[in-house]
Amino acid sequence: MQHDTVTVERFYTENTGDLELRLTAGAAGLKRIIPEPTVNRPGLVLTGFTKYFAHKRVQAIGNAEAFYLKSLPPGERAKRYDLFFSHRLPCVVFSRNLKPDKFFLKAAEENDTPIFQCPFITMKFINLATLALEMMFAPRGTEMGSMVDILGVGVLIRGESGIGKSECVLALIERGYSLVADDITKVTLMDGRRVVGTSAGLTRDHMEIRGIGIINVAAMFGVKSIRKEKSLDLVVTLKLWENVTDVDRVGMEQEYVKILGVEVPHITIPVRPGRDLARLIEVAAFQTKLKLSGYNAAKELNDRLLAKMAAESKL
Amino acid sequence: MSAKKASPGTGPATKELTVTNTKGIHARPAAMFVKAANRFACDVFVEKDGEKVNGKSIMGLMMLAAGPGSKLTVHCEGADAQAALLEIEAILKRKFDED
Repeated sequence: MQHDTVTVERFYTENTGDLELRLTAGAAGLKRIIPEPTVNRPGLVLTGFTKYFAHKRVQAIGNAEAFYLKSLPPGERAKRYDLFFSHRLPCVVFSRNLKPDKFFLKAAEENDTPIFQCPFITMKFINLATLALEMMFAPRGTEMGSMVDILGVGVLIRGESGIGKSECVLALIERGYSLVADDITKVTLMDGRRVVGTSAGLTRDHMEIRGIGIINVAAMFGVKSIRKEKSLDLVVTLKLWENVTDVDRVGMEQEYVKILGVEVPHITIPVRPGRDLARLIEVAAFQTKLKLSGYNAAKELNDRLLAKMAAESKL
Repeated sequence: MSAKKASPGTGPATKELTVTNTKGIHARPAAMFVKAANRFACDVFVEKDGEKVNGKSIMGLMMLAAGPGSKLTVHCEGADAQAALLEIEAILKRKFDED
């Protein structure tokens, strides 16, 4: 479980659309790493109190900081800037399109610290930037298996190579469900508790079918047959009939697998020629949907049976 | 033909067994019964109050609603019938590992 290194450059280029950042100085520092996935308002640091300065975070300068600095005589201001830049900062963002003065820009250039301007009010910038950073810092992994969205239930289909995963996925697409990823599913942990699956960018919308080759699912079955990402609700492992030693016959107890540290419901489906796997996976997804909404058929039937037996034994 | 004596051999085997666990044959014991029965090649039938079901079917066993104290006639037919009956008898005696 790991996340990619987040540089200021990535933060800038991958979020230009959302954050509308404009680089105004310190381009030489774009390769700087952002060590902590959050935003800090320097506030007190600019008054000279640098203890507990969260300098590893993206620094946001809003009205309060900007107007405080403006109130200082130029000589004093320059000293505060030197103090501010004496820490290794990832980057500084001026919200509300506030303009850094020339001393600030000079200090930034000298210290290779990127400076950005952003049109949003400070609070909005902080919210957007925190979400963006959270996303970039999210733990990631790769799961062997194909992922399909079955009526809102994200199902990861695993199994040995050649067991029939792709045929199964194809049959599900033909039934009207959507492909998320074929053969390799990229998983990301969102908010520390939700696993989201997606396809590797390069192979998105494509599948490999033995004997036919590579097909473009969107071109063949239409846009409804593809989905960019989906939260993971169920993992289905396809296993050869003879290798299945202990399969759940009732379904009252839920088995789980850990993916990125999160427990995801898991079932094993024994494979034998003639079994309609796509149909079985579809039903498993519906069953998961019912269970998520609080209904467990096996438990209900068992409760009925227990009540009947209890009543009869009292006679 | 009945095989009251618990010695593995060939030919069909039948025995009357009593359900002794306090909850009776609900889902979990039914699954345990069926799992054991499925390990054998022979046919397994379970009869209670004139109703006969396949001992390899969970739905069948649950339908019997065999509560505590009820008597089941277990009938096995096939090459390993004796061994199957022994195994099933052992499970009922163990009260399905409940209680």
